Amino acid sequence: MSEVQPIQLPLARGSLMRKAKPYLFILPILVFAVGFIYYPFFKTFLFSFSTVNAKGVITGFAGLDNFNYLFSRRDFKIALENTLKITAINVPVTVLITMGLALLANKKRRLSPVYETMFTLPMAIAMSAAAMIFKVLLNPTVGYLNYALGLDFGWYQSRDYALYGILMLTVWMGIGFDFLLFLSAFRAVPEQLIEAGIMDGAGWLSRFFKIQLPLISPTILYVTLTNMVLAMMVSGPVIILTQGGPARSTTTLIFMMYNSGYGSANYSLSACISLVAFALTFALALLAFYVERKRVHYQ
Amino acid sequence: MSGLKQRRMLGGIAVQITALLVGLTIIFPIIYGILGAFKSPAEFSAYPPSFWPKSFAYTQNFQDAFARVPFLRYGLNSLIVALIGTTARLLFAVLAAFAFAFYDFRFKKTLFLVILATMMLPGDTLLVTNYLTVSRLGLLNSYLGMAITSFVGATQMFMLRQSFLTFPRDLKEAGQIDGCGDLRFLATILLPISKPVLVTLSVQSFVTLWNAYLWPLLVTNSTNMRTIQVGITMITSFEDTNYHLVLAGVTLSLIPAFLLFIVLRRNIHRNMTAGALVG
Repeated sequence: MSEVQPIQLPLARGSLMRKAKPYLFILPILVFAVGFIYYPFFKTFLFSFSTVNAKGVITGFAGLDNFNYLFSRRDFKIALENTLKITAINVPVTVLITMGLALLANKKRRLSPVYETMFTLPMAIAMSAAAMIFKVLLNPTVGYLNYALGLDFGWYQSRDYALYGILMLTVWMGIGFDFLLFLSAFRAVPEQLIEAGIMDGAGWLSRFFKIQLPLISPTILYVTLTNMVLAMMVSGPVIILTQGGPARSTTTLIFMMYNSGYGSANYSLSACISLVAFALTFALALLAFYVERKRVHYQ
Repeated sequence: MSGLKQRRMLGGIAVQITALLVGLTIIFPIIYGILGAFKSPAEFSAYPPSFWPKSFAYTQNFQDAFARVPFLRYGLNSLIVALIGTTARLLFAVLAAFAFAFYDFRFKKTLFLVILATMMLPGDTLLVTNYLTVSRLGLLNSYLGMAITSFVGATQMFMLRQSFLTFPRDLKEAGQIDGCGDLRFLATILLPISKPVLVTLSVQSFVTLWNAYLWPLLVTNSTNMRTIQVGITMITSFEDTNYHLVLAGVTLSLIPAFLLFIVLRRNIHRNMTAGALVG
């Protein structure tokens, strides 16, 4: 049938211009993709194996020296640990909270629009605005949280708690969007399946684990992946709230990259950190895919 | 039977009350921040800390915040950057999506993948090298410099292509025979039909760019070129914690994204979640 055929523009009119047209349409996005995504990535790669001066110009080949130097630094180990810790906590906590919220809001009720809006509202708040609010809210003297909970330490001033203070913010910021994803996933589960479960005498728990959970597993994977990437890249809240401190307790990989590149003009070191962060994130994403594959296979 | 019904209804009410309480907990920081904007410095330093301000008529904080930092200028800067970024991103995405949906050409698949694969390279890891590029182009402290890294919207391109693909191809051919050129077809038929998707993607891009922090911070150092998100973090300093002013600034900065979000909530809700699983 002609409608399933892609449009073939008549060759009679097929001047060079006609042939070039689709390429011209793609050109703008391609130029910027190359200029601001592929080129900087390639350059980062190049920098990590080179000596680079403070102006960002390559002055020589360094082999693995930059990496050796990076891996020998104590603050790198701390940054790596902090980043992985943030990821290890942030991802499951976000998945559980947003999935729980979606279950709570799943059935449409009279007040649904009200609390659905409440659950999604954090996504309208800019990271820096949220960070400033949390800075006040979690302040040991003027903040309301410590007063309400009867605590007396400074969240962002204590080396034991600062990372958790950052985590509170990152988890909170992720609530809105992931809740929406889970909500539409739960609502897409066919009603008949749930009803069949009820008929078979399946309780709430087994309905959840046997029917809903397998069906929403693509969403779980997606939320896990996006949160992993976000958590591995955390740096904004650190810049605003703690500057990596106290005593490096909140230094993350991207914060260290930002600091050594933008702050100290050590571009080769900054490039190495960037590559490590990228490689780790990529590996974690592959791992998540692998686990998901396996799980689906054995079902 | 009526007993069961009653129990169901009571259960429903309990769920709704629980959901409301949880919802209030979630938006507590926002409410706390906005209320704080109306508190005087004395109320702030008082112990125990208060939740409600004494009076909503107290607007000194907003005036002081305006006096301390050029808020209107910051807001204008953010607006310009967000508009440039959104326009360019959407325009480029539309053009590419149009080509991928309606043409056949060599390397179509490869080029498509090349653009989609940009999603796999997190922008944060490229910050420092992009900074060098923008600095070399002489675009530091410029609107273009702040917006330029957001011109590539692979997700937007993908979703627009999906939307374009639903357009019956013989209709386009019919138009062609009537002498309707490609760009005219795009502008007068395709785009108006795709308005819902376009609106959602624009709002989404606008809010993301309005809310951006790290990149605008990197590429600006003159006070006049700061965006609002960078500006609100600069009201306070180590020596001088003006929390009442900070919260006044934060409250002002929330307004635009907030309004867009509330007005377009349903639209965003539907389209974002529909697109998210593919993006």
